[in-house]
Amino acid sequence: MTDGWRLALRNLRRNRRRNGATALGIALGFAGLSILGGYVTRIELFLRTNTVYLQHGGHVAVYHAEGLEKAGARPARYSLTATDQVAIRRALEGDPRVEYSAGYLRGMGLAGNGCRTVPFAALGIDPGVLQRNVRQPDVRRISADFVRPVRGGQLFDYLDVDGAVGLAAGLARLLGKTRTHDDFGGPAAAVVVPDCGSPEATAQIAGDANVQLAALSFDGALAAIDGEVVNVFHTPTTDTEDQTLYTTLSTLQRLYSTDAVTYVAVYLKKWREAEPFARDLEARLRGVGLGVVAYPFTDERVSPYYVGSMTFLQSMVVFIVLLVASVVVLGVMNTGTLTVYERSREIGTFRAVGYTRSQVTGLFLREVTLLSAAGLAGGLALSHAVATGVRLANIRISPPGVPGTLQVVLTPGPAVYLALVALLLPLSILVTWLVVRRRLQERTADLLTATTA
Amino acid sequence: MTQSRAIDSRRSPRSGRQRFPARGRRPAPAGLAVLLALLVQATGASQAPTADALLRDADRARGGVATGITWTAAVETTEDGVTTARTFLVKARGNDALVEALAPARYKGEIMLFNDRTIWFIKPGLRKPVSISARQRLSGEAANGDIASTNYARDYEGTIVGEEPVGGEPAYRLELKARAKNVTYDRIRYWVSTKRHLGLRAEFLTVGGDLFKTATFDYGNRLRSAAGTFEFVSRMTIRDATGAGTVTSIAFDAPRSETHPVSMFNVNNVVR
Repeated sequence: MTDGWRLALRNLRRNRRRNGATALGIALGFAGLSILGGYVTRIELFLRTNTVYLQHGGHVAVYHAEGLEKAGARPARYSLTATDQVAIRRALEGDPRVEYSAGYLRGMGLAGNGCRTVPFAALGIDPGVLQRNVRQPDVRRISADFVRPVRGGQLFDYLDVDGAVGLAAGLARLLGKTRTHDDFGGPAAAVVVPDCGSPEATAQIAGDANVQLAALSFDGALAAIDGEVVNVFHTPTTDTEDQTLYTTLSTLQRLYSTDAVTYVAVYLKKWREAEPFARDLEARLRGVGLGVVAYPFTDERVSPYYVGSMTFLQSMVVFIVLLVASVVVLGVMNTGTLTVYERSREIGTFRAVGYTRSQVTGLFLREVTLLSAAGLAGGLALSHAVATGVRLANIRISPPGVPGTLQVVLTPGPAVYLALVALLLPLSILVTWLVVRRRLQERTADLLTATTA
Repeated sequence: MTQSRAIDSRRSPRSGRQRFPARGRRPAPAGLAVLLALLVQATGASQAPTADALLRDADRARGGVATGITWTAAVETTEDGVTTARTFLVKARGNDALVEALAPARYKGEIMLFNDRTIWFIKPGLRKPVSISARQRLSGEAANGDIASTNYARDYEGTIVGEEPVGGEPAYRLELKARAKNVTYDRIRYWVSTKRHLGLRAEFLTVGGDLFKTATFDYGNRLRSAAGTFEFVSRMTIRDATGAGTVTSIAFDAPRSETHPVSMFNVNNVVR
């Protein structure tokens, strides 16, 4: 440690109470902002994981040019044909940014239990891709509760079950399907309900895991297939709980008599590359004459919940950071002003014995740097303690629009810490510099004779 | 009551005369004549068919026969320039109908059972029948079947709101309002021939009052039954007023009266 730093440290000890209070203010501000940053980081990761992997949107989704808006109403015209899929696959082959890709078919129809039908919104998934998605490290770390079905196993565990389907908990309830394939130890004989209005009907409906899926096929004919309920799950958002149904891509394609898919999802190795990759891929596909649009997951049109939530959170964070940073900086400024005025004679003496303005300023800046560093270190320890305490307390919340509960886990991480240090430390130094600079403008004689206490 | 008032209000302006003499004036002999003429007119109005009677007559010509009727329906649908064709054998009795797919071969054996207001879809190999409720039949075959089998007299409260020719044929224009909540369409505009009492055109409206589908009807068939011989629908053309503008044409061939047992329309019997 040089003499300048040693002197700065000694000076800080001269007014321990005031400097301690200032360091505590910095520590509390830093800890508060770290915890807020940790919460937002966690929520962003949770929403991104859900959007990309659990809702199967991928980092980039490739649709027919008007497919996103119109494929639901006119699927035959606005889906990606087998030829389109081949062209997209070719464009993705050999791209080092791509981890994997998959075609998905979306469809609507009616799910029946022999007595009544309920509208469904189905997603046909490649079981291999589903398996890769749920085994993603982020998914296992962040959304493990949502990956695990409420009843039954994963869809990819039932490749030998013809027409295996997973029902969202609300849809299963509406259909009266309280048990799944495993509860019957294999495919149970379908129980035909002779009188749907009888008191026994509820038990009879629950007496098997069989459902019927009916829909208009791509050629406009009414079609229906049998399904076997292999699991019941919660969807990432509550508004889809009463209608979501997952099945294999081949099963859904059989129902709709098609080999088309609604979109191709591309999973990237680095999520931050989604936007440039989407632009690049779309240009390449249009270059080979394919009328498609590639949407990154950050596009509100494909991920309204993610984008809407993040926009709100970011606005909130900016406001709170400005507020807390202002309080911290004003605290430092107040302490700096008092200190500089109290030590006017000392400054004058330094100047009288030949210290330059820069040297005197440097002394005060070293002091505020040490004070801020102490405060930031304390804040780091405090934020860690709070994050650990919250994790151990296993506090669970019900986020709006999300079924079930979510454990509150605060994960500030190095990026948040570094960002806060990069914000608070220079600001503290800057305000101190301004205060000292102003005092140093005065004549040395005035400083030496100043009345400061 | 509503209906006769509607007819009366429609006819009065056409007479171009004051219906009653001004207050304080004695009815002159000429005024008496006018009064008599109005009485005659009113008598004529009371003999006009009621909306319910019109709907019952029109329903009968589209298959609403109490004892039973059988015909073949050839359905052609054109959407986005692509035409698909299917043929069905239809057996109907009162409010029930059993519709069995005959062609193309891959759909053979598929059955749609219209049980009162419920449609059951039954397919060979499917373990249970699929019910399609009224609100779920807005598109596709179920929608066409639904329109073809609409029992206007049972499901709708009709009001004659005027007269308007359809294809040059004088017709009553009726406004139909759903009697129950579980029917597909809340409101229908329906034109029924004044002379033949046959439905000529129907417009199916959304809850918001927008046009959703239209249907026109031709009557080239004649059906002989115990009640006599009457005209029977030969073609129904259904057009989507929204989306792709899909057009479906249903040709009704070889209609014949047959007695169908009630058990034929029991879903459990059909599934077996």
